Amino acid sequence: MNSSVERVSSRIDPVTAQVIWGALENIAIEMGHKLTRMSYSSIIRESEDFGAALIDVNCQQLCESVFSTPLQLGPISGYVRGIKKILEMRGETFNPGDVIIHNSPYYGASHGPDVAFCVPVFHRDELIGFSVTTAHHLDIGAHVPGSCGIVDAVDAYAEGLQFKAIKVYDRGVKNQPFWDFLADNVRAADMVIGDMEAQIAACRIGAERYIELVKEYGMEAVLASSEYLMNYSETMLRREIEKLPDGTYDAEGFFDGYLDSPDPTKKDLKIAVTLTIKGSDLYVDFTGSSPQVDDRPINMPFEGTVCVAVYLIVRSILLDTEDHDYVPQNHGLTRPIHIYAPSGSICNPTFPAPTIARFCPGNIVADTVMRALAQVAPKRVSAGVGNLKVIAYSGLVNEKYWVYMDITEGAYGGRCGKDGLDCVDTLYANTRNNPIEDIESHYPLRVLRYELRENACGAGKWRGGFGSIRDVMFTSDGRASVEGDGHKFPPWGIFGGRPGVPGALILNPGTPNEKSLPSKISDIRAKKGDTFRTVSAVGGGYGDPLERDPHRVLDDVLDDLISREIARNEYGVVITEDFRIDEPATERLRAELRTRR
Amino acid sequence: MILIGADVGGTFTDIVLADTEKKQFAIHKIPTTSPDPSVGMIQGMKELCAREGIPLERVEHIFHGTTVATNAVLEYKGARTGMITTKGYRDIIHIGRHQRPQNYSIMQDIPWQSRPLVRRRHRKVVTERLIPPFGEVLTPLNEDEAREQIRALKREGVESIAVCFLFSYLNPTHEDRVRQLVEEEFPEAFVTTSADVSPQFREFERFTTACLNAFLGPKVRTYIHELSRRLHEAGASTGVHIMTSNGGVTTARTASEKPVFTLLSGPAAGVLGGDWIARLTGRKNVITFDVGGTSADIGIITPRGIVEASARDTKIAGYPVMIPMIDVHTIGAGGGSIAYVDPGGAFRVGPRSAGSMPGPACYGQGGREPTVTDANVVLGRLDKDHFLGGAMTIYPEFAFQVIEPLADQLAMNVHEAAEGVTTILASNMANAIRSRTVQKGHDPRKFTLIAFGGAGPMMAVEVARHLKIPEVVVPLYPGITSALGLLTTDLKYDFLRTEFMLSTQIHIDRLRRDIEEMERAARQQLHRDGIPDERIRLVRSLDLRYLGQGYELRISIPQGPLDETTLEAIWDDFHKRHHAEYGHSFPENPIEVVNLRVTGIGVMPSLPHPRFHSRGGRLEEAWLKTADTYFRVEGELKAFRTEFFERSRIPVGAIIVGPAVIFQKDSTTVLPPGSEAMVDEFGNIRIATMKKRRHEEMEGAL
Repeated sequence: MNSSVERVSSRIDPVTAQVIWGALENIAIEMGHKLTRMSYSSIIRESEDFGAALIDVNCQQLCESVFSTPLQLGPISGYVRGIKKILEMRGETFNPGDVIIHNSPYYGASHGPDVAFCVPVFHRDELIGFSVTTAHHLDIGAHVPGSCGIVDAVDAYAEGLQFKAIKVYDRGVKNQPFWDFLADNVRAADMVIGDMEAQIAACRIGAERYIELVKEYGMEAVLASSEYLMNYSETMLRREIEKLPDGTYDAEGFFDGYLDSPDPTKKDLKIAVTLTIKGSDLYVDFTGSSPQVDDRPINMPFEGTVCVAVYLIVRSILLDTEDHDYVPQNHGLTRPIHIYAPSGSICNPTFPAPTIARFCPGNIVADTVMRALAQVAPKRVSAGVGNLKVIAYSGLVNEKYWVYMDITEGAYGGRCGKDGLDCVDTLYANTRNNPIEDIESHYPLRVLRYELRENACGAGKWRGGFGSIRDVMFTSDGRASVEGDGHKFPPWGIFGGRPGVPGALILNPGTPNEKSLPSKISDIRAKKGDTFRTVSAVGGGYGDPLERDPHRVLDDVLDDLISREIARNEYGVVITEDFRIDEPATERLRAELRTRR
Repeated sequence: MILIGADVGGTFTDIVLADTEKKQFAIHKIPTTSPDPSVGMIQGMKELCAREGIPLERVEHIFHGTTVATNAVLEYKGARTGMITTKGYRDIIHIGRHQRPQNYSIMQDIPWQSRPLVRRRHRKVVTERLIPPFGEVLTPLNEDEAREQIRALKREGVESIAVCFLFSYLNPTHEDRVRQLVEEEFPEAFVTTSADVSPQFREFERFTTACLNAFLGPKVRTYIHELSRRLHEAGASTGVHIMTSNGGVTTARTASEKPVFTLLSGPAAGVLGGDWIARLTGRKNVITFDVGGTSADIGIITPRGIVEASARDTKIAGYPVMIPMIDVHTIGAGGGSIAYVDPGGAFRVGPRSAGSMPGPACYGQGGREPTVTDANVVLGRLDKDHFLGGAMTIYPEFAFQVIEPLADQLAMNVHEAAEGVTTILASNMANAIRSRTVQKGHDPRKFTLIAFGGAGPMMAVEVARHLKIPEVVVPLYPGITSALGLLTTDLKYDFLRTEFMLSTQIHIDRLRRDIEEMERAARQQLHRDGIPDERIRLVRSLDLRYLGQGYELRISIPQGPLDETTLEAIWDDFHKRHHAEYGHSFPENPIEVVNLRVTGIGVMPSLPHPRFHSRGGRLEEAWLKTADTYFRVEGELKAFRTEFFERSRIPVGAIIVGPAVIFQKDSTTVLPPGSEAMVDEFGNIRIATMKKRRHEEMEGAL
């Protein structure tokens, strides 16, 4: 198959290729558009935690809905590979009219709650590809409510339902027993099933449009263009890798794990990256990373999380859309990158090790790969990025569950010539928060505060971005689970920049019951009035803080982001009581701080 | 009645003078003056009036489209702005939706962080808090604190203040009170409240809209003040009405208070111009296609009217703007778009543009990069002696000089490369149209493409064919369609309230009360503008969604009293619309009411429909020359003998079979082989994009 594709691809002209590229991308965008507008849960429609893509018969991604989150988009081809493998093992085949549900992290899925629906696309009785959507579901029937913060699942079975390539429509016939069973085994079933129906509708639209495209241009031209586009993306990435000096570059990153656990193998976990550049190929080896944690779900599915994190961070650095033309996100971008992680490690766990809470460790994978790349691409990286927390708030009203997942934010490290981004979703994810006015109108919650975190600073010539402080109060009794990280290890500073500041989680701040909590909590009861404060991390600094323009330091003081003391101690900038820079004093202090090093 | 429309763009100011009784109009195009565009505009109005022998004081209405606000945002040159907001929420406009604008970028900037509308030092908090569902006061407003913060802002030298409280769309009293306090403590400041500008939920978007309004306020107020003064001095007896983004016009006073409403008035005027042509030609399903040098603006008109944007999807310079506006989709594709081969070998066109300076290489103004216009010159579709009616010379040799290297890079001949440029551009444009039609459940095969702007008529048939659109209409004056659009508009005020209630438990009395209040407010506003009752129309609608969804569809409320029957009809309509738009509906599910809307319309006199009188009697008199042009037909690119015509001499009813090219002063219409054109009684060129045989062939596919 591949060789014939090569042959035709040399025959496609660049004009037709360009036209088909635009058409393919349009299809995926339309799928995403329909999915967000028809879906019910805020995690899809407001947070945009979903993906949509067309995949070819060889499981190569052709196009994606460019406006949704990378962490949903990246894994889609892996889901299809997993589905294919399972169907082959069972001796089943794809048929027109099939709709397949899949979420097995040991067969390509990113983690259980990110459920894919896959519609095989047929043209003239021939399978020509797959139209696929993935989305984060509110609940998939784990032992506690919600699908975030399932942090004490002991194995893959405890994480909720496992869908391994199940045909929910078989040759167009609805598999009713499946849906009946599902409705009884997930919480907030109306929402979950409504979202799934939206996913299926979006897949079907994608399939229809793909067939129309093939009818219009012919199968050969579409295949040739697809291959052309993948080759193009591959070439673009190879060009950038080639510019980097050959060699081997190491980096290490750490994450909390379970800080309150007495078991040392469950905390202070390590991601070790050995990055090798050879010509236009890039090798990423995770040997040396912590072993898998057998009974806690922070292991990362190799294909659905680790590989995706690597691909996405590499392209974000080397094909940064800020200063490169947009290069289509397709299978071609994975070809120059070769990833290895030893089996049984936290980056490549073995079944049935649980994986549902793999999000935060995955951020550290991306962050550590960036740290390794910083050695050869110093002007294209940021210093360390702050990790984040997701809280699943839930409760019962009239015997019915409500579940709301609140995704908080991280912050980027300083960059060459720019401070870090404040309060954003990070690295391989890019979701949205939910408006306070929406949350309070629909759930028994009140958001009491949402502001930048002051006086915590990742000093640098270009400082780290600021995190947030967010207080959420229950207005009736309920429950909460927390899935987060970044409470212990600060985001790294670089080139003389200071490290950032870790995050925190505080229950009932400013009251006699104030309590500091770890970054992972499984299903605690909450009383009306209980308030959770998430304090998010501050990114690391880039470059020597003593070289920061004093006017920028003054700006941060005037903006109440840092105190005059921090200006003096961290930056050596003396600011007078009437908020002017004392230049002679600043020069003296900076000189003194330099000699003291 | 004598009307004037003045559309001030970046490069040109277009003025139209219309006499509604005599059914005539006259046009005038002049360069836009800088820094104050009103200088040139008034000069141009005087010249046009003098030319037509109509004194300025006889003009009864002056309609004005302006980019003063738009440019201030794009250039980030607004007032030093302060904000008063709820304590605990100082950084809502900085954190935003915590989403990065670009998925794959480390070095990106976030507009609201790198170019804040209000710097953090000027964001002041006061104690107060409202809560849903009705805006109950959880914490009363601390007025002393508010006064203190206002004084602080005054000391800090801000010129403008936005008052933004959570849930103010449910209960504006706290915001209104602080506005009063600002007026007391700091009367010279421009002040705006979030509920006044955009009373709907989603705090980041609403606050940002209010801050943008404050950011623009002083500048726009000064501009409009100056303009009114100059107009008065010039002898005008009427005030000016300003075009707003929703396709209406508003008074100078309202535009000064809410400049954010004028942000997209330019593109909106274009859609209105297209709508006027649609009515002239009796077309109900229309795509307006306004293409200039750097961008293409696309609008959609259905039998329900001009399609409006969903408020949450609209951005300007990266900032979200939550105001009612016509859904104008703009893409970076126009006559000046630059073609290039990127380092990976991909053949790309735009969004970078050569603009008006230096412009395409063929202009001979020093452009060195191949543009869409250059490609059309190479293909023989533009002529050196007749470009823009001979007002401008073009140099074909320069066009070849820039297209040839492109062709070499692509291993093509020069004509193939040039044709590739136009095909890629047309495909990009077609995709943009698809996103507003196919993706929203509209079948483009049932639409007419109305093409205008300098470059629209040149590209239109090719774009239409990508989408199987059967008909293209090119108006008589493609270059001034936006200015004409200004004369077709009505006074328009949108009122909106977020309601949040369920179809299963409707507070019908509350809805009735709110409709009544909003209609009263609309009437009052229109009375204040001098509109008598018989010229007032009120239109009401609800934004609805299935409970749990995040996106709403707008459903109109039938006229007459609101009762159970009308509600049933509304729910029914919603299910149908949902099905049409998304291919699915859920009739058993409860529907959530999100917003109630009332639009007050003050009907204005309408633009005449003048008959077209050709300057020629027979088609031969319009003939300019015959020359070779290149087109791709059934996959093969080849030269065709092509007739060239002068538009003003083509007689009504004459039929022109493609390939042909029609020149006129402000545009060039290209008719590829297989298309056929006829000039109608209003001077529009109506083009059948596909000959019958081709048309039937294509019927099956979409």
